[in-house]
Amino acid sequence: MVKNPAKPRPMRIKKTPYERIEPYLFLLPALVIFAIFLYYPFARTIYLSTWVTDALGRPKKFVGIDNYTIRLFGKADFWASIVSTLKFVGVVALGGLLIGLITSLLTYNRYFGSGFCAAVYAMPVAIASAAASMAFRMIYHPTGGLLNNLFGTQINFLGGANQFWAVAAVTIWLQSGINFIFISAGLKSVPAELYESCDIDGANYWQKLFHITFPTISPTLFFQIIINIINAFQSFSQVKLLTNESPNSSTNLIVYAIWHDAFRAQRFETAAARSVVLFLMILVITIIQFSFEKRSVNY
Amino acid sequence: MKKIVSLLLVAAMMLSICAFASAEGPVEITFWHAMGGVNGEAITAMIEDFNTQYEGKIKVNYEYQGAYDDAFAKIKAAGISSIPCDIMQVYDIGTRFMIDQGWAKPMQEFIDAEGFDASVIEPNIAAYYTVDGTLYSMPFNSSTPILYYNKTAFEKAGLDPNTPPKNFDEIYEMSKKITESGAAKYGFGMGNYGWFFEQWTGKMGKNYVNNNNGRGVDYATAVEFDSNGAGHDILSVWKKFVADEDTAIAPYLNQGNDDAKQAFINGDIAITLESTAALKTLLTNVGDSFEIGVGFFPNINADDVGGVSVGGGSLWAFKTGDADREAATWEFVKFMTNPENQAFWNARTGYFPVNVKAQETEAFKANVAQYPQFQVALDQLHSSAPQYAGGLLAVFSQARALVQSYTEKLVHHEIEDVDECVKQLAAEINEAIEMYNLTNY
Repeated sequence: MVKNPAKPRPMRIKKTPYERIEPYLFLLPALVIFAIFLYYPFARTIYLSTWVTDALGRPKKFVGIDNYTIRLFGKADFWASIVSTLKFVGVVALGGLLIGLITSLLTYNRYFGSGFCAAVYAMPVAIASAAASMAFRMIYHPTGGLLNNLFGTQINFLGGANQFWAVAAVTIWLQSGINFIFISAGLKSVPAELYESCDIDGANYWQKLFHITFPTISPTLFFQIIINIINAFQSFSQVKLLTNESPNSSTNLIVYAIWHDAFRAQRFETAAARSVVLFLMILVITIIQFSFEKRSVNY
Repeated sequence: MKKIVSLLLVAAMMLSICAFASAEGPVEITFWHAMGGVNGEAITAMIEDFNTQYEGKIKVNYEYQGAYDDAFAKIKAAGISSIPCDIMQVYDIGTRFMIDQGWAKPMQEFIDAEGFDASVIEPNIAAYYTVDGTLYSMPFNSSTPILYYNKTAFEKAGLDPNTPPKNFDEIYEMSKKITESGAAKYGFGMGNYGWFFEQWTGKMGKNYVNNNNGRGVDYATAVEFDSNGAGHDILSVWKKFVADEDTAIAPYLNQGNDDAKQAFINGDIAITLESTAALKTLLTNVGDSFEIGVGFFPNINADDVGGVSVGGGSLWAFKTGDADREAATWEFVKFMTNPENQAFWNARTGYFPVNVKAQETEAFKANVAQYPQFQVALDQLHSSAPQYAGGLLAVFSQARALVQSYTEKLVHHEIEDVDECVKQLAAEINEAIEMYNLTNY
């Protein structure tokens, strides 16, 4: 029997203690950062939500679930805030998508001025929400604003129930830019052969749109809906600035309410409890989104 | 977020400590202020002037920390670990909170130690910041609300441009004439600003909160405007002027007073309410387009007997444990409130000169000669007795936000009945007071 002189298969040797911990050392920087900025605040938030705090946010008295049951669920304002947040997210996510879709379809074909139009439609991406909010406050002004002067009306766009739509409109406009860019890119990637074969079959514009374009760009649309929902949940500066730090119940979005509880009203415990509610809401929405993705994205 | 902010602030502290340790030379102190825009330019000029005069001895590092609310939120976040500045400008309604925290070295201690003549501080202004005989902070930028009106529109409407309305009955009549004559889109308009609610309560000679308006040995435990009728009378004005279709004559100009100010500058409303601190801004922005008149802050009822109280901000010195820096802070406070500087400050902003001797300076006299409107603001302050200094409440900023939010609910018919509105408002503020008292005392 000829012994195979080739390299012997390396034996699994016992690792030194250093080798054992080495991989964890590589993980450490990331873990430390996550621990400090994500896991610790998360745990602390849950902890704080079961106490009442003093004005500096230090826990003073353990109250169990009272912050949830009495100080949140027992208040009509809390439910109004949840309802407005969901309504806002829905309106902004769909509105931003729709405008992005329409504008990108309008500029899909090249014609005189299409480049200019594309630049205009993409513009909101480059505008800070704070700057836009300040400009819109002047546009919406109840007596001397641009809109009222244009239409010769005396409407208080930022008062009462109007406020919700005024803030949503600005947010949709801000969102439409990024939607336009991504959907335009998606449209460009639809293979031209598909349209050609449709033309040969005699399909009209709408048939091509519904049977070729939408199915092919559905991953982009799905991705944009998720981005829109995330951004809509995070809306803050437009609420703060357009309403002059005083939204009514129709516009008291949950992220704003958290900030207001903690940094204006000195009520850190309700801010913490609200944050946990927001976390659960986003968790549920994320689960729905991913189960939805499997069924509705065709490619 | 709060954690991150405080960590950053601690890091900044460390840096500044290192800077102190290594540098021989002037005592450096840090000043946090909350003045932006026209007022920010004025305060910067004064600080630079101080640094020039005290070159080699004291250097003030000044930092604009955002408007009152933002600056106040930052000091709260920092206060858990350590105070990052030597002296800070805090708004009127932060007074009770600052006293409760015990971070500050009361001005009274500096005054007593030096034998400083505190009678130069305008007594009606000092009254606000004095609790239990101790002056806690040095008034710096003090203001009261006043009534502004468009004299040109008054003339067009056939009204006497030198007679501003004194109460809401007169505002109603005048405002109707102005609107009917077409001299302005609306005769009257005001921002939904919680400060006015507090001021009207004082003008009726009534208390906002219990326990001697929160100024006694005991802190406030509940509001009083619900039982003494002040809340009812004030919200009734809102209902009559803005909410009820049959009687409404004024547009709703949202919370805060930015929109009202803008509408007044545009000439859309002929009578409005604003802080004296807005005087310079209004004069500058209106320019030659019309003539601005000012009058006393209007009474809710014609027979009200109380007075206005000061708003604005004051300077709080912190206990740093460093005698040199505390002494430098006191020098700086004296400088900022000396007659020349207060005259300059008054002319540049519209805030009162808190030093009574400022009224004797040439700068003040020249300014009043050019803009007699400044004098009206001062007369109003002098005609109010110190006993209407206004309430103290640790959760005042919350209370103010709630007042505005319930006023808006009334205006937009979410609540129809004035008494029901007052009742719900009082219940919410009382709950906030109760929570604060439970966790902070």
